[in-house]
Amino acid sequence: MIKLRMPLFITRHVLFALMIGGLAGIGFILFLIEFDHFTSTEEFCTTCHSMEIVAEPYRESVHYRPDSGVRASCGDCHVSEGVLSATWDHFVGGKDLFNQIFGPGYDDPVINELHLPEAAFAARQWFKDRNSATCKRCHVKEAIFGTRPDTNLIHKEDAKDKSCIECHYNLVHLRVPDEKVFKREAWNRMIEEKYGLKPGEADKLLEE
Amino acid sequence: MIKFKSHRRLYLFLCLIIPFWLGVITESLADKVTLDASNWGLEEGKECISCHKKASAGLTHEWESSAHANAGVNCLDCHLADEVENDAIEHEGNIIATIVSPKDCGRCHTKEFKETEGSVHSKALSLIKNRMPALADNLSGREMIAAGCAQCHGSQVEVRGDGTLTPETWPNTGIGRINPDGSRGSCSACHARHNFSKAQARDPSACIWCHTGPESPDDDVYASSKHGALFASNRNKMNLNSDEWVLGKDYSAAPTCVTCHMGASPGIKASHDVGMRDSWSLNSPVSEKQNLVIFDDGDRRNLPISQAAPRRGTELSKLNGDMGKVKAVATPKRRRQIMAKVCLECHSKGFANGFMKQFDDVVELYNEKFGKPAQAVMRALYDLNLLTPAPFDEPLEFTYWRLWHDAGTKARHGAAMMSPNLAWWEGMHLVSQNFYGEFLPQVRELAGKEQGDALIEEHVTSLEHHSWLKNLDQPNPILGYGIGRPSHD
Repeated sequence: MIKLRMPLFITRHVLFALMIGGLAGIGFILFLIEFDHFTSTEEFCTTCHSMEIVAEPYRESVHYRPDSGVRASCGDCHVSEGVLSATWDHFVGGKDLFNQIFGPGYDDPVINELHLPEAAFAARQWFKDRNSATCKRCHVKEAIFGTRPDTNLIHKEDAKDKSCIECHYNLVHLRVPDEKVFKREAWNRMIEEKYGLKPGEADKLLEE
Repeated sequence: MIKFKSHRRLYLFLCLIIPFWLGVITESLADKVTLDASNWGLEEGKECISCHKKASAGLTHEWESSAHANAGVNCLDCHLADEVENDAIEHEGNIIATIVSPKDCGRCHTKEFKETEGSVHSKALSLIKNRMPALADNLSGREMIAAGCAQCHGSQVEVRGDGTLTPETWPNTGIGRINPDGSRGSCSACHARHNFSKAQARDPSACIWCHTGPESPDDDVYASSKHGALFASNRNKMNLNSDEWVLGKDYSAAPTCVTCHMGASPGIKASHDVGMRDSWSLNSPVSEKQNLVIFDDGDRRNLPISQAAPRRGTELSKLNGDMGKVKAVATPKRRRQIMAKVCLECHSKGFANGFMKQFDDVVELYNEKFGKPAQAVMRALYDLNLLTPAPFDEPLEFTYWRLWHDAGTKARHGAAMMSPNLAWWEGMHLVSQNFYGEFLPQVRELAGKEQGDALIEEHVTSLEHHSWLKNLDQPNPILGYGIGRPSHD
């Protein structure tokens, strides 16, 4: 029988430290998994009032209330798969918390909606950069049958080289035009009308 | 005459001449769109079709059998938009607009765009501005605008800040639509999408969609006229699909709305300025002949002859409120000449002029006997505060509205297009029933016997037209007078 000989520098203390470190590491990873999981929930996200405003249209959407009951929560779409990517996304997303505390008054629906288009553009870019990876957690292009006979063919043939976000935006949150055709002027007027503000007030609020 | 020494030379000559001849023909057929074909057929637009064949097969199928598809005009050629346009949207990687406005169509169909833009059709919305508060707001509700008024007169399309078109103003193909790009009108009011068939637009049904009902009863008028009857029995002889459609050359079986109001006949150019050939206003309480004022930018407006015709070069307000420089004025006589010239392809001058006289006589009879007196009485009642200024809060106001707007319009349109039934039974006969049987008694009721009689004497019975009311002894058995008495059998 071969007897394994430890190198001399592996002393009892080192072994002990490695074991503690390893366990701590495992614990940390488990913590991250739980942390990512918890911080991806609607419950957590909407602890900030500003996110509650964004969640309202979501609760009317088919992603919240599909026939199948398979509900997509905030993180299912907006946080990447895998503990490292998920943690990174949460880290980057920390800027939302920063802005919540130090930024403009996002808790005010008017301010929130005035700033919404830029947030929407950023979110769309995020999806595009990842080839709509989070959509594909649930959706398989070849398996989209829809309710009309040609829906499946359209996805297999015409949308063959496209990722979900290229066609499907404005699905969940308040409708925002594509960045290329977005008109700040028209957007501000719409918000003013919606909240009964005087013409020009939105522009002032946006500058603050 | 050219003499050919042998048959061979003749053939040679023909070989040389035929291509020229064909060339002339194709050019004359294609002169509507003078642009080179390289101006359309956008590459990106060809990609739309595969998906739309699946997503909206009906629409795509319509386009596939259209002259547009045949010429290589695809979706994007018409729907292409610029990013800065306020109704521009992103769609599958392209910047497009849902609404293809006359300005968009005018990228190729320049002549038609200019003609419609100047025509009374494109101002259909501004023409009813005065009627909307009373009819839409008071008598019904704003909901009726989208479902009723704007369907024909057009909506002012609103684009929301999120890029969507408001459901109150879109969908809409009213002919006076005010588009997000500022242009007026809607080509698809008559040229239904996405086939844009010539035959469909030439068929009276294209016009009748809106020219129906009390305000413009032309469907019933045409259908019960000899012209309409001929069209109904000869529809298959109408050559509606022909590239050119010149009366007497390409068809002759019957005239349609297009034939008289905008069509080509020898010596008369076709024009999309529908209304240009109308010398009368027939949809007003009192009809007036009208000048057509042509501005130097091509815009046009009607001006009643009671207002002095502007001189060339002077300024005059356009229908949209802007000022325009007058380039020319077409008198009612000139307008009538053009309209009457169409008749000559099938009728003699005497026949045409005789008919026009019969028509004018009815309009003048309506004006003098009913239109003007009733208007004068109404005005007096408003002046005397016997009627409140608000429209339609008193029975008399409804009676008067029915008199000129419903029955009065039917009578005048009926006479304009030879429907005996509309001119008489549903037209002037009802005007008369209304006037003597409802209007005058209600005036007496409202103003009291003494004041009412005075008003009626001043504006009605003093006129020769109504003098029979002073001679009430003339018997007539059609209402039972003397029936059964031997002296009257």
